[in-house]
Amino acid sequence: MIKHLLKLVWNRRRTNLLVMIEIFFSFLVLFVVAALGIYYGENYRRPLGFSYQNVWHVSIDVKQRSDDYFTAEQVETTKQLLLAARSFDEVEGVAGATTIPYGMGRSTTIYENGGKRVRCDVNEVSDAFRDVMNLQLVHGRWFGKEDDGANWQTVVVNQKFSREFFGTDNSVGKIIGTPSNPAEALKVVGVITDYRQDGEFSSPENFSFVRKSLDLPAGADVAKIDVRRYRPPRNLLLRLHPGTTRAFEEKLINKLQAVARNWSFEIEPLADKRESSLKLRLAPVIAVGLIAAFLMLMVALGLTGVLWQNVTQRTKEIGLRRAKGATASDVRRQILGELLVITSLGLAIGVVVIIQFPLLNLVGFIDSKVYFASLALSAGLIYLLTLLCGLYPSWLATRVQPAAALHYE
Amino acid sequence: MLKNYLKIAIKVFLRRKFFTFISLFAISFTLVVLMVATAFFDHIFGIMPPEVNLDRTLGIYFASMWGPRASRSGDAGYRLLDHYGRNLPRVEKYSILSEPGFGYSFIKGEKVKSFLKRTDGEYWQILKFQFLEGGPFTVEDEKNANFVAVINEATRTRLFGNAKAVGKTIEVDGQRFRVVGVVSNVPIFRIVPFSDIWVPISTAKTDSYRSELVGGFMAIVLARSRNDFQMIKDEFRSRMGHVEMTDPTTFSQVFSSTDTFFEAVSRMFFSGRRDEESHAGRLLASILIAAILFMLLPTVNLININISRIMERASEIGVRKAFGASSWTLVGQFIVENVLLTLLGAAIGFVLAIGVLQAISQSGLIPYAEFHINYRIFAYGVLVAVFFGLFSGVYPAWRMSRLNPVEALKGASR
Repeated sequence: MIKHLLKLVWNRRRTNLLVMIEIFFSFLVLFVVAALGIYYGENYRRPLGFSYQNVWHVSIDVKQRSDDYFTAEQVETTKQLLLAARSFDEVEGVAGATTIPYGMGRSTTIYENGGKRVRCDVNEVSDAFRDVMNLQLVHGRWFGKEDDGANWQTVVVNQKFSREFFGTDNSVGKIIGTPSNPAEALKVVGVITDYRQDGEFSSPENFSFVRKSLDLPAGADVAKIDVRRYRPPRNLLLRLHPGTTRAFEEKLINKLQAVARNWSFEIEPLADKRESSLKLRLAPVIAVGLIAAFLMLMVALGLTGVLWQNVTQRTKEIGLRRAKGATASDVRRQILGELLVITSLGLAIGVVVIIQFPLLNLVGFIDSKVYFASLALSAGLIYLLTLLCGLYPSWLATRVQPAAALHYE
Repeated sequence: MLKNYLKIAIKVFLRRKFFTFISLFAISFTLVVLMVATAFFDHIFGIMPPEVNLDRTLGIYFASMWGPRASRSGDAGYRLLDHYGRNLPRVEKYSILSEPGFGYSFIKGEKVKSFLKRTDGEYWQILKFQFLEGGPFTVEDEKNANFVAVINEATRTRLFGNAKAVGKTIEVDGQRFRVVGVVSNVPIFRIVPFSDIWVPISTAKTDSYRSELVGGFMAIVLARSRNDFQMIKDEFRSRMGHVEMTDPTTFSQVFSSTDTFFEAVSRMFFSGRRDEESHAGRLLASILIAAILFMLLPTVNLININISRIMERASEIGVRKAFGASSWTLVGQFIVENVLLTLLGAAIGFVLAIGVLQAISQSGLIPYAEFHINYRIFAYGVLVAVFFGLFSGVYPAWRMSRLNPVEALKGASR
């Protein structure tokens, strides 16, 4: 049966070759869209690692262009800002942070151990951050006052980093790197499940929190001091009592402004930030999806037209088959079978091409699970598409009257 | 002859409406996507007011400096631009401007955030803003640190309603400026001219910016002609070798370059911090490859439809061949038909593209964006449409011309 179908396809190879090429390109387009969709869907289902509800973000503009230096006065003012915000009844907790969830900025570093180099996102945060953001600790502890006198920097990492860097889930007590100066050592005190700072659609990344302290050691020279540990944060995160309204914003800003007259502040609930961040991430995906949908509609219409034309051209052949006793469903099976063969051939070339993607490292962002899932999904979709296109023409073929068809000869 | 072809073409289009519809749909959809993409590209890189001299403008956008242990990179710094960017050879005008920052004002107790740009007097001579009232601030204003400001139309509406703004005072970040001019809005993608409020650089609260090599500023260089670009680039690059470093133990070297805006964008994508080459060719190639890849599927689709359309007319072709029409005549006829169909599709595509662009402009996704189809985009669209028509018509026409008249008359199937 298949051999016979192949022969039929081969007999009309020139027309079929072009249809096959069209199916091949459509398959590539479907694969890319499927991969994007599955990748985003997978990420969306993963736990976020923090909660954004009832958290407000206050950004501090200190009217200074560079982040590379700071003064002891700025540290003190920032400390006062945290205290001022904390003094409200509406506020359950206040934390300082260098980067924030759903924000545009991120800071990344490379940690080294022996010859091993691992890329990891870093956020420098104050002690209250865990409670404000509801982070989930699995091992060890979060940092706190007890780390004030420590001779190293205290770090909390996520499970992914712990596994990748130390090869174990529980890396509490381990030191990152082999620094010559012990004050530069980073000591892991706790491990959290995850923290996907860029939100629901981002892939899980390595993440580490470095403790930020606003208590400068007595007599310290800020020009020489460790910047990462003491640089005042430009972002505050406030956890509010559920039900606090935007009206609180004015009270809050007046108080902050009273502490730091020359700085300016901007307040936005994280929920709002989340909405605009998701919109920004989804907009290009939706644009690509829309274009792909129209492309597929175009292909579907074109394919229907071509198949329709083919069937009208082969009236004689079909009429002969009917005259020799083939049933309507036999004819339909033949038309759809040929189409299936062409689709499979186009698909085969497509798969050969797509296999090259990981080999050439073109799809760095998707893992093998997403890769194979999207391969399967796009293959299924292309069969569905061609089947739909073949329905009407194959029905038309069954309508052929043997007498009318043979009459032409 | 052509008139006859066109008459036949229209008859054929009307006879098989479904095929005509599929072709038109494919062509117009492809054109819409390409037109919208081109409009975006033109919106970002094309010459449009106020950047009317863009074709002979270079910019100094980025700078980086590094030493044995530390490195910094970002926008260029004021000292670098002021000391080493001025008086380049064959340059007509030179202006320094800050990256867009924010300024805060209070209106009836409510806080309003605006984009704030600090710049100098030459800025208004290089860029031709459309002034709705008043005029720009001058080189003297910048020199004397006069507290004057130019605002855009949106800011005027926000701060003063619809009243005249010139002569009135606005307060930004606690500083009071007298409004001297109001300009029409400029879209956010045009990084050099974009802002809500423009004030002189010298009115900054501190003058710490004056000593920085990296950070916060950029410059635009108006050359006499674009033939001088290479000379200007070479001179600026050689000056980078002689920059006086304030703290050579931390930062010992500095790198910066003069680029066209397109080169600056490709530098962001493809170049390292100290890369001499901007890789503009690579960016252009990527864009072209993306466009061609996108067009492949519609083209194959159209070729398929065209073949079907021709085969359906096999008997007509057989008759014409039997009466002595040459293959070339038939190919010519079919291509004329196909180009006509493509142009028809292109016309529909243009109308749809205008609608899509208007929808994007009005959605407010991009501040002050006004997407238009100008003559450049139109010309490009017609070019693509004709190319599309020829390309998708040639192979089917060739197949048609090879039909054997006898078989064709019978209604050939292969």
